[in-house]
Amino acid sequence: MLFSSIPFLYYFLPVVLILYFIAPKGLKNAVLLLASLFFYAWGEPKYVLLMIASIIIGYLSGLLIEAFREQRISKIILGISVGINLGFLAYFKYADFFIENFNTVTGLSVPFLKIALPIGISFYTFQILSYSVDVYRGDVPAQKNPVSLAAYVAMFPQLIAGPIVRYANIAEELKERTHSFENFALGIRRFIFGLAKKILIANTLGELCDIFKASEEKSVLFFWFYGIAFALHIYFDFSGYSDMAIGLGRVFGFHFAENFDYPYISKSVTEFWRRWHMSLGSWFRDYLYIPLGGNRVPKARWFFNIFVVWFSTGFWHGASWNFIVWGLYFAVLLVFEKMYLLKKLENSRVLSRVYVLFTVLISFVIFNAADMKEAFTYIGGMFGIGGVPFMTKEFVYYLRSYGVVLLLAIVGATPLVKQTVLKISNRNTNSQKAVNIAEPVLLVLLMLVMTAYLVDGSFNPFLYFRF
Amino acid sequence: MTTKTKNKVVTICIAVLLAGIFLWCLCRPADAFSDSERRALAQFPELSAETVLSGKFMTEFESYTLDQFPLRDKLRTLKAVCAFYLFGQKDNHDIYLAQGYASKLEYPMKEEAMERAAGRFAYVYDKYLKENDAKVYFSIIPDKNYFLAEANGYPALSYETFFEEMKKDMSFAEYIDITGLLTLKDFYRTDTHWKQENLIPVAGALGEAMGTPLSGEYRVETLDYPFYGVYYGQSALPLAAEEIKYLTSKALENCKVFDFQNNKETTVYDMEKAYGKDPYEMFLSGSLSLMTVENPNATTEKELILFRDSFGSSIAPLFAEGYRKITLVDIRYIHPDLLGRYIEFGGQDVLFLYSTLVLNNGETMK
Repeated sequence: MLFSSIPFLYYFLPVVLILYFIAPKGLKNAVLLLASLFFYAWGEPKYVLLMIASIIIGYLSGLLIEAFREQRISKIILGISVGINLGFLAYFKYADFFIENFNTVTGLSVPFLKIALPIGISFYTFQILSYSVDVYRGDVPAQKNPVSLAAYVAMFPQLIAGPIVRYANIAEELKERTHSFENFALGIRRFIFGLAKKILIANTLGELCDIFKASEEKSVLFFWFYGIAFALHIYFDFSGYSDMAIGLGRVFGFHFAENFDYPYISKSVTEFWRRWHMSLGSWFRDYLYIPLGGNRVPKARWFFNIFVVWFSTGFWHGASWNFIVWGLYFAVLLVFEKMYLLKKLENSRVLSRVYVLFTVLISFVIFNAADMKEAFTYIGGMFGIGGVPFMTKEFVYYLRSYGVVLLLAIVGATPLVKQTVLKISNRNTNSQKAVNIAEPVLLVLLMLVMTAYLVDGSFNPFLYFRF
Repeated sequence: MTTKTKNKVVTICIAVLLAGIFLWCLCRPADAFSDSERRALAQFPELSAETVLSGKFMTEFESYTLDQFPLRDKLRTLKAVCAFYLFGQKDNHDIYLAQGYASKLEYPMKEEAMERAAGRFAYVYDKYLKENDAKVYFSIIPDKNYFLAEANGYPALSYETFFEEMKKDMSFAEYIDITGLLTLKDFYRTDTHWKQENLIPVAGALGEAMGTPLSGEYRVETLDYPFYGVYYGQSALPLAAEEIKYLTSKALENCKVFDFQNNKETTVYDMEKAYGKDPYEMFLSGSLSLMTVENPNATTEKELILFRDSFGSSIAPLFAEGYRKITLVDIRYIHPDLLGRYIEFGGQDVLFLYSTLVLNNGETMK
């Protein structure tokens, strides 16, 4: 079930909120777990068993690791738990990719397994892995209550698109958390803003990207327009989902860590990755990069560690070579920055940002390509390679048609709006009051407009066919 | 308002909104049909272990919730208004407004589809007409975008190339150009189609080119029922209703119309359809695969076979004056191989009259 859908907003969410808030304190986690299992089963009726199996493995391994702490067997149990969960991920997400490449290399024709990817498997697998490793390291005690652990892993706000919530960050809140008007209001506001980012901006820019891909009149400017639109689309889509998750978590009394922090204002790619999908970056840092030795190793090994981490980051995003190339592209940029560029970038406010926007835009063209051939074609098209015209009428039309949304997206990708609202509300008491009055009105209006956009998604005229 | 109060107000407002709409969705009876989209609406899906496990129930439930959402058409209007006026988008679901007309983007030129259409016409020609001494004519009706799109900055077909391509592909037929006889005013503001009351010069020119002069003397009648064209519903904008006017005469009133698809006699103007979901279907009962119009008062024995789309429904009656019998064929709904069972080919005038919209989507031809 998607957050940006009528069944979620006007069926699932009201029922879950009612059940959750009338449930006694001791049953709230159980309500949350049952709701989450229903939420997951709605989209993946069969794979819900796979997730339950992963949770059981995580739960038992946590107990056993703790029971055998300081003994060699705890390491073996951790290895088994990690192995099984990564095995699930490898099988369900990467099997056909491995087969395809195996066939290419050997010339054999091993048939594809054609397994549907279980939604959210990359996220919940990483959460279970972090829990097991944290228990092994002694950073957190094993969770004795299976309902609490299952509620943590399966919690619907962050289940299908993150952020990757660390068990350590919410272990206390699974036991004891506060429910208040403040939490609800702040949470629902964050949720609605996230929903607006997704429905009003990301989806509209997504339409534009689809139009570009289907266009037979591509031009240099249209390629750039597409690149910018997709970079903004993916930011608003993903950060919008994170906002919704963080907001819903807050409604239920949880404080999830932030996942995006205006990445497009970064002055280096290094900074970009401190602001983009922060929960994934920190996960790889803590559970892969540092265990590999981080940067406290000889230079060659350090670079190797960086490449392993970014290979994995790319591969985590999808079973395709363009994701791997995308990850390695960042590895190269990061190494280059660490060796030569970082200090120079710090000295230039404009050039550094142009550099980041350009390199990131190219990266997302690679990211969104169907394959590497398309990626090269698109990047070539941006520079007029292949006899692409500089501009066409079609581009002018779509620039006019999507220009306002694009402009809103550009402004919205900076802290400008947030800072302006804060400035107004901090000016004096009256300004604060005005902002307080405007907020509920704006939230209700946004909900109505977004509902209109969702309902309009069902627009499906019978074309009988052009009479 | 203090921040504390605001938090309470936000909580209450959103809780009431979510719970209120939830209850409204549960309580309201399901609608069966969408007039604006002219389609049946999804109903509550079958709930069984099989439909749940296969995910069919969930998919259909989502369609149901969207189709049956309270105030659906008003919300679609809100979306269209936001898209056009808040976000400055130039079209909504490809529907755009220019010079007071609603139209749908028809772009780009689909050469394969055009070739498909021309190929099917050639098939008809080879199978029935080549050996039968038929005089074959061909004309293209420009759609509204011809007058509206490029002039207002919307992507448009390259009409000149379009016409040239079609003429090249249909070299077996004599081309009759009617583009110069039409203007934007000859089309409905909210619909795809042209207005019958403005077609006398077009019918005259086609008749003239086929060697059948038409006097074009008719009485103009106005339908006492508001006409909201197909783009009214699709645009979801509050566009004004239009009038349907139709041309009649003693001769037309005496014409005998036979609908082979439903095997029944009907009339030139189907007044039941005039007051139905799509009043434009009053012209020869709308989209039908095969029908004949016979004029017992004709002063000639000439016959016309009109291969046509829905634009043909409104112009065909105007040919009745010059032909004893007109056979209307829509090969989107009947395979050309079946025509021999119903039509005795030989000596008729044959006119292929199609709009650019249908030709550019010619994959629909059988």
